[in-house]
Amino acid sequence: MFKDLNPILHSQLRLAVISVLISVKEAEFTFLREKTNATAGNLSVQINKLKEAGYIDVSKQFKDNYPQTICKITPQGVVAFEQYVKDLQSYLDIKK
Amino acid sequence: MSAEKEFTTQESLQLISQMISKAKDDYIETGVSALMWGAIITFCSLVALFKYLFFPKWEWVNAVWWLTFLGVIPQIVIARRERKQRKYRGHDDQLRGGVWISFGAAMILMNYFLLRYNFPQPIAVYLVLYGIPTFAIGFGRRFRPMIIGGIACWVFAILSSITPDPWTLLYLAGGAQLAWFIPGLILRKRYLKVKTKNV
Repeated sequence: MFKDLNPILHSQLRLAVISVLISVKEAEFTFLREKTNATAGNLSVQINKLKEAGYIDVSKQFKDNYPQTICKITPQGVVAFEQYVKDLQSYLDIKK
Repeated sequence: MSAEKEFTTQESLQLISQMISKAKDDYIETGVSALMWGAIITFCSLVALFKYLFFPKWEWVNAVWWLTFLGVIPQIVIARRERKQRKYRGHDDQLRGGVWISFGAAMILMNYFLLRYNFPQPIAVYLVLYGIPTFAIGFGRRFRPMIIGGIACWVFAILSSITPDPWTLLYLAGGAQLAWFIPGLILRKRYLKVKTKNV
């Protein structure tokens, strides 16, 4: 049924991450963890998948001597997300 | 939240709107700066009015306006602390920062010119300036209390040009209340509500 939907985005946690990132310019890893209620390990794996697909940029830096991971959606990620939402809408239109 | 759980199109759309709304929950200002500036300007205006009405010879009371310069120090502290606590950056953060910095620069320059050329209606000029960042931020954020506050400042600017001194100071106090103090209270209330919800 969902064969045309982008498999990278059609996953609960990855879609949640992308939805948060589309709403902000960039977000810390801890912010994404708070919003998605995911475990650090699982979130880390899914963020890597999104990064490999080119949908997000991940950068590491130090803030007050603590390591910090910053995630940011890429233009390619924005296009993929918009297409995903369009596909979802067309599915819903067909259903109606 | 799991990664590979099967879910329907409806659930997908629901998840997207839920996550966007969760992110927006954090996209709320604390309201502290707005409250502080609203309180400072109102306090200075009312003290100055009181001085003109009851103690016109007490020139030293005019020193109360220095509070508007001193207010920059806590403002920098508040802005730095808020930036440090935030775990994300919004799309319009830079733009908003730019608007307020240009407002601060315009206020300093305007003070210089008003004092230098002894402008007859300085309060009208201040109110016009107050209205610009207030309306712009309110319009950009679709935050009606600030839109109303910005427009109120401009209306008060017109009214102050036909009102005798020192009553024009009431417009300044009113402008500060409508543009900053009341929107600040609303923002603070929203912020505390969201914070309690997320605890």
